[in-house]
Amino acid sequence: MYKNLLFSLLIMAGMQLMSSCAGCSDSGKKSQGDEDALTLPDSLISDAPLRLSEEIMNEVIGNISSPVEMAGLFKNSGVDFTQRILNNPDNVSNYETSYQRALNLGVYSADLGYINTFDKNNIVVSYLLAVKNLADGIRVGQFFDFNALRRMASSSTNLDSLMEMSQTSFNKMDSYLREQNRSNVSSLIVTGAWVEGMYIASSIVRESGDKELSDRIAEQKNVVNILEIILSNYASDAGFAELVQSVEDLKAAYAPVRITTELGEPQRIEKDGSLIFIQAEVSTVHYTPEDLENIMATIENIRAKIVN
Amino acid sequence: MKKFVFSLIILLSTISATTYAQCNESVKKAVLELMGDAQYIKDFSVTLEKAPNEAKTGMVRFNVLLNNRNHYKFNVANGAANPDGIIMQLYDKEELLSSNFEGGKKYAGFEFVCRATKVYQLVFSFAGGQEGCAEAVLSLVKQYSEGEMNF
Repeated sequence: MYKNLLFSLLIMAGMQLMSSCAGCSDSGKKSQGDEDALTLPDSLISDAPLRLSEEIMNEVIGNISSPVEMAGLFKNSGVDFTQRILNNPDNVSNYETSYQRALNLGVYSADLGYINTFDKNNIVVSYLLAVKNLADGIRVGQFFDFNALRRMASSSTNLDSLMEMSQTSFNKMDSYLREQNRSNVSSLIVTGAWVEGMYIASSIVRESGDKELSDRIAEQKNVVNILEIILSNYASDAGFAELVQSVEDLKAAYAPVRITTELGEPQRIEKDGSLIFIQAEVSTVHYTPEDLENIMATIENIRAKIVN
Repeated sequence: MKKFVFSLIILLSTISATTYAQCNESVKKAVLELMGDAQYIKDFSVTLEKAPNEAKTGMVRFNVLLNNRNHYKFNVANGAANPDGIIMQLYDKEELLSSNFEGGKKYAGFEFVCRATKVYQLVFSFAGGQEGCAEAVLSLVKQYSEGEMNF
């Protein structure tokens, strides 16, 4: 009796252990090669203590908005797609340091969002390749299944899936970097993506004067403060220090922008079995054309430093 | 022998308690399907487990930056072994803005029309403080122009 029970229990134990390890084996693999995977050839890491802990940095970095949202506004502006405003994928070979690679990985990710939004599958592969090269260069290429992405890019019916898959890959890479206490690398990618999104927005505003995009640029005042907090944490590194200076210039350009809020009535609608909440608080951004011009000029200056 | 079998049962129970809380890829796929035609932005993996000295699980919080005039969708899918549906709530600091638990009913998500660009808090918990896991996804339904915002 006991023998049978013991045997059954041992079988169950074996199955339980196998199933529990199935969920963790991947992370186990990651941590094993982790030190190699993110040992950067030109040290991005300083011995100086961080002003904010990795945990707080993770929370802060997670607050930068996705390039997807900005890309949607580009399309809504009615302005045609223009490849010349994007960073040329041939520039990849110019980025030799991990600092440059991480920043420009972010830049190309925003470009990819713009390209995907306009369904430009004829050039998407060269940008995916640029992303893959830079990701490999900072040893996070494993999150991009280049062949699957390329297959999707070749079929115009799969462009939504392509967008989703590229965004998922970026999110996984970002989570991995932050889990591995490599928030410095993650912060550069996020900064590069944000700057490029703002740069494309500025280019479109210069061409069309689009009010929605102009407002969106001005509303990013709070994000500039977040970027300053993130990058200042690593300011003991010369590259980061220069970037912090650029962000401080941008902060000064944003100083005259005011954001006011008023309270309305919250609304709750149930439609087709879904709950929709409409926020009660309404914010309004106030700025002059000169304020916007200063902000856009500063963005263009920062972007030029990143890609050149 | 009896002691050994008893220990093995205890060990199995412990392993079960830690393994059921893990969500697998099928839960992530399920939540992506719930998203429908909206545009994927970000996903969140939630695991709520009791610490050895805790009687109930607490909550998991993520900060999210949401933009003015954007219509977002938050969907959540529960782990198969969850004893109860997870509660997902959106806060602006202390103020509860929206929840998938309304009028005693749990929904698979909610939509939120944002009218102020700032950092919000997405909070997950179980009403009874049970252990479990879930996958959630944030997606973009629509971006309104200023003129369309007169609801």
